[in-house]
Amino acid sequence: MDHFPTNWGRPRNDAFDAYGTYPIHQRAPVKDTFAEGVQHTQQPIVTGTSVLAIQYKDGIMMAADNLASYGSLARFKDVRRLHAVGTSTVIGASGDMSDFQAIQSILDDLVTDEFTHGDGHDLGPAEVHEYLSRVMYARRSKINPLWNSLLVGGFRDGKRFLGYVDLLGTTYSAPSIATGYGAYIAIPLLRAAVDGKQDQLTEENAKKILHECMRVLFYRDARSLDKYQIATVSAAGVTISDQIQIETAWGFAEGIRGYGAQTQ
Amino acid sequence: MPDGSFAHPQQRQFNPYTDNGGTILAIAGADFTVIAGDTRQSEGYSIQTRYAPKVFRLTDRAVLAVNGFAADGNMFVKKVKQRLEWYRHAHAKDMPLRAIARLIQTMLYAQRFFPYYVYNILGGIEEDGSGAVYSFDPVGSYEREACRAAGAAQSLVQPFLDNQIYFKNQKAAPGTSHPTHLPLSDVLSIVIDSFTSATERHIEVGDGLEIYVVVARGRSPQGIEGIRGVQELSAQPNGDRTFILRRELKKD
Amino acid sequence: MFLTRSEYDRGVNTFSPEGRLFQVEYAIEAIKLGSTTVGVRTPEGVVLGVEKRVQSPLLESSSIEKIMEIDRHLGCAMSGLTADARTMIDHARVTAQNHAFTYDEQIKVESVTQAVCDLALRFGESVHDEDAMMSRPFGVALLIAGIDELGPQLFHTDPSGTFVRYDAKAIGSGSEAAQSELQDKWHKQMTLQEAQILVLRVLKQVMEEKLDHHNVQLAQVTPTGGFEILDEVRLKEIVDIM
Repeated sequence: MDHFPTNWGRPRNDAFDAYGTYPIHQRAPVKDTFAEGVQHTQQPIVTGTSVLAIQYKDGIMMAADNLASYGSLARFKDVRRLHAVGTSTVIGASGDMSDFQAIQSILDDLVTDEFTHGDGHDLGPAEVHEYLSRVMYARRSKINPLWNSLLVGGFRDGKRFLGYVDLLGTTYSAPSIATGYGAYIAIPLLRAAVDGKQDQLTEENAKKILHECMRVLFYRDARSLDKYQIATVSAAGVTISDQIQIETAWGFAEGIRGYGAQTQ
Repeated sequence: MPDGSFAHPQQRQFNPYTDNGGTILAIAGADFTVIAGDTRQSEGYSIQTRYAPKVFRLTDRAVLAVNGFAADGNMFVKKVKQRLEWYRHAHAKDMPLRAIARLIQTMLYAQRFFPYYVYNILGGIEEDGSGAVYSFDPVGSYEREACRAAGAAQSLVQPFLDNQIYFKNQKAAPGTSHPTHLPLSDVLSIVIDSFTSATERHIEVGDGLEIYVVVARGRSPQGIEGIRGVQELSAQPNGDRTFILRRELKKD
Repeated sequence: MFLTRSEYDRGVNTFSPEGRLFQVEYAIEAIKLGSTTVGVRTPEGVVLGVEKRVQSPLLESSSIEKIMEIDRHLGCAMSGLTADARTMIDHARVTAQNHAFTYDEQIKVESVTQAVCDLALRFGESVHDEDAMMSRPFGVALLIAGIDELGPQLFHTDPSGTFVRYDAKAIGSGSEAAQSELQDKWHKQMTLQEAQILVLRVLKQVMEEKLDHHNVQLAQVTPTGGFEILDEVRLKEIVDIM
């Protein structure tokens, strides 16, 4: 998982703007908007960075910060990237935020339809994940992807679920999953703390682990924010926390050449 | 470019494919077939999950291994299973192995101009009770073989199989000849060795190994029931029998 | 049965108050006007026989085609409006070829019969943008003979789209007498030759003309030979020993 959403679903090309520094609004100017007919999404515009999620003793927990970036500009600093679907599922999104909002309304409509049927069926996390993967794969097959990496987590009928689906329709499940930069930075920490210990991990510890990872990510990921939310899904249902502030200390940087004020 | 010039604007369009690594393998015996795959799913240098099955039981006598782009693979298996069910309803029988092989060809070729980026290996028992392996390319070319490896470590495993199954570059001792089919225990050893070796040398192979064994009706399962951790999947022991054997592979 | 004709006679998609579709029933009646057609199943294969009514000495009897090949392992004999059978057999042939192409195996006798019967009920009004469909039921019944992994089989289809498997079956004008004769004479361990002779004897009984190798046609499906229409030489041999 590349941490620049702009590079997702593309062949690797280090020769061209490998670090995503070139401003989005100055990319290849198009003179006639309709010269090439109807255009599908070629790149994400306003993006969210990593989402982290783990299984723990009583269910699953998911974390994502509140930033939506416009290229390297920290554009929106109060965006919610965790979203409850029904009463036992939560989804978290990285990648294009407008596509994510489209997904939210698709899922909300789905949940409403299911509710109005009143037949006693409701969608659990596994069903939502299956449905989302169908939607994402169908869109990639039309070469018109929804430019996201999504995590779906939940707890229903005594079973927890944690799954991933992205713009290509690729899916998988694991005890700990992270998208974006988190796949590099947080996954090693999460796997060490979680994998194989899901059944022992308490809610308190799970929260502590995610908090620590979010802090590390804020230190290391230039497109992250020190403000995030945690979603918890257990037998008690879905809870999405208030915004949590990450306390940071940058004093160490003072002594590092290239960080603090240069004293020659 | 960062300086604002855009001399040669590059067309960078959406690529609907990726490679999720992993390796699959199948070997046919006289009256059994072994179909195996590792369970790692990766993208680039990242391991996405340590357990994503690539080998699927289709019928009492057919097992399909799928490798390449995981999203296409899962969708393809889903559609094959759907077609098998329709066939069962229309013709009141399970689809025979060679019919499944041909069906897979037609399904793959139907997507000739937007292919499923998957390499398929179909293994099982033929109508005459013989073990069989069919291998496919992404657009449906297929043939029946005695053994085949595909995926990330194909180039590591296939030469090993050529040597161990087809006895390529081996000379039989004077007055003897190479056997045409190996016993099950030998085949299982070769499969496990193939994957431990591929795990050593290929970064996309590892984590777990799932081995399916299909034994023809009325034939001896050659002591497989005694192997550690073997699980039988078949409903009744008087028909064709399917067993699954799981092994850990290194996770680094 | 038909004394109480009513407006329900006409619509092909209107049930009568007694719950009947008259046009379908009339179509089944139409078959009873057709020439007699007989099929007999044995462990060695299936034999089909038809009476060719040569209404005029000027008629070329070899041009009457009432037995047709569906696939190498499938044959079919008809009675009734034989022109209708062309549509059905065309469909059966395409279905059989499609199956062989997609699955690399010969289609089962029952499956091809089912496919033909699916077609039989597609009369009535067309649905939204579909092309105009058939305006009336087929006026023909078929005896479909074939061999698959379940052995030699004989199926009977009628205009209602119903199909049933038989050991021996007669359809057409002489079917009532023919069927009771088949019931008397058919037995489990019949040889193919016995079946050929039985078919001819049954036809002979119900035919007005004297049976010879010009006014009947015989075909068979066997494991080795597949479907074959017996030529006049072979037919004459059987007529002679009969």
